[in-house]
Amino acid sequence: MSLDYVKSTPGFEKFMPKDYRDLIDHGPFGKKVSVSQVGTFKEIMEEHPMCAGCAMTLFIRLSLISLPNPEDTIIVGTAGCGRLAISQAAIPFVYGNYGDTNAVASGLKRGLMTRFPDKHKDVVVMAGDGGLADIGFSMLMHSWFRKEKFTTVMLDNEVYGNTGGQESGMTNIGSVLKMAPLGKKFDKIDMPDLAKTAGCAYVAMVVPNNPKRVEQCIKKAVLIAREVGPTYIQAYTSCNIEYAIPTDKVMEDAKNVENDRYQFKEYISDEAKQYLGEKWGYKEYAKKAIQTTEVAK
Amino acid sequence: MYLVANIDPTICGATSCTLCTQFCPEANTIQYDLSRKTAFVSVDRCKGCAQCVWVCDNMAKHHAIKMVMIDQLPEEFANKLTKNMSYEQENLKASPINK
Repeated sequence: MSLDYVKSTPGFEKFMPKDYRDLIDHGPFGKKVSVSQVGTFKEIMEEHPMCAGCAMTLFIRLSLISLPNPEDTIIVGTAGCGRLAISQAAIPFVYGNYGDTNAVASGLKRGLMTRFPDKHKDVVVMAGDGGLADIGFSMLMHSWFRKEKFTTVMLDNEVYGNTGGQESGMTNIGSVLKMAPLGKKFDKIDMPDLAKTAGCAYVAMVVPNNPKRVEQCIKKAVLIAREVGPTYIQAYTSCNIEYAIPTDKVMEDAKNVENDRYQFKEYISDEAKQYLGEKWGYKEYAKKAIQTTEVAK
Repeated sequence: MYLVANIDPTICGATSCTLCTQFCPEANTIQYDLSRKTAFVSVDRCKGCAQCVWVCDNMAKHHAIKMVMIDQLPEEFANKLTKNMSYEQENLKASPINK
């Protein structure tokens, strides 16, 4: 949980694996890296057992690069595809039980705020649509009602991909899947609106075919969650196995889905805008903050 | 035998596009060589999904990436392994955030 944990014991450097030495010498810890520099530094994510061409992996990789302070971050996840890649990263990963990710994250964040009152320690929940919208729904909603200060990222592949293709609450109406042969009977749950109603300070819907936008969303969400309130990001990460998308067409599919039902949407509360503008130098929000205060006068 | 991505350094070096490095789902697989100004693939990590081929053909429109059989790589296989890669430290610039 600090820069010290990525150092090796003096005298033992040459016995460490090359991946580990690269992470110490060329990793992103303590530096500010961005998505456009990718390929010139060692990433915190390592080789993982996820399927070839999985869009969820791409999103996880982009979000791990975009974390403002990876050395001060803990990720909480649960059963599902995502944990296969997240657990391979050089970031502490807490494997919550199915359904209680946001309860675990609440306790973790409160503990960290008590233990390190003068430092920002980020907690990010990264779980699938089943783990957040179906099984973990009550814990998720209650963490928002209580205004717990951490980020929730939903990796929405619109199916239970790890267990053979059952329908989830986030599956589209009418979708026929291997374990849902009659097609889904009810609508996709409108999680972004629920998040807004429940009091999230920042809500965004993204598709990973725009890496810069993913980076901006993750940065804003983590920064706002430090002081303002809960934040929520919903990302479309297609399952190319269950939806039978050829691996080289994954980005084409992401583009079509973005045009169809996953348009980029962003909601920032006024308090969060002011916080970003004043504390983190976001110019677009600094201006708006000044305008609104003038109107108020 | 299996397919891996192979980047043509003459076509890629003529551009300053880094799209394939951003769109590869595997971490540390498509690297960027700052001295030659070209992307290159660490073939022992490539799972052969060909997403970079689609990105290079349709988004960047450079047509620099082709899938080739692992034993027919233009360069020697050993040159393209992860353990022979290097990073350029001085290019880690500060991002606008956190100033």
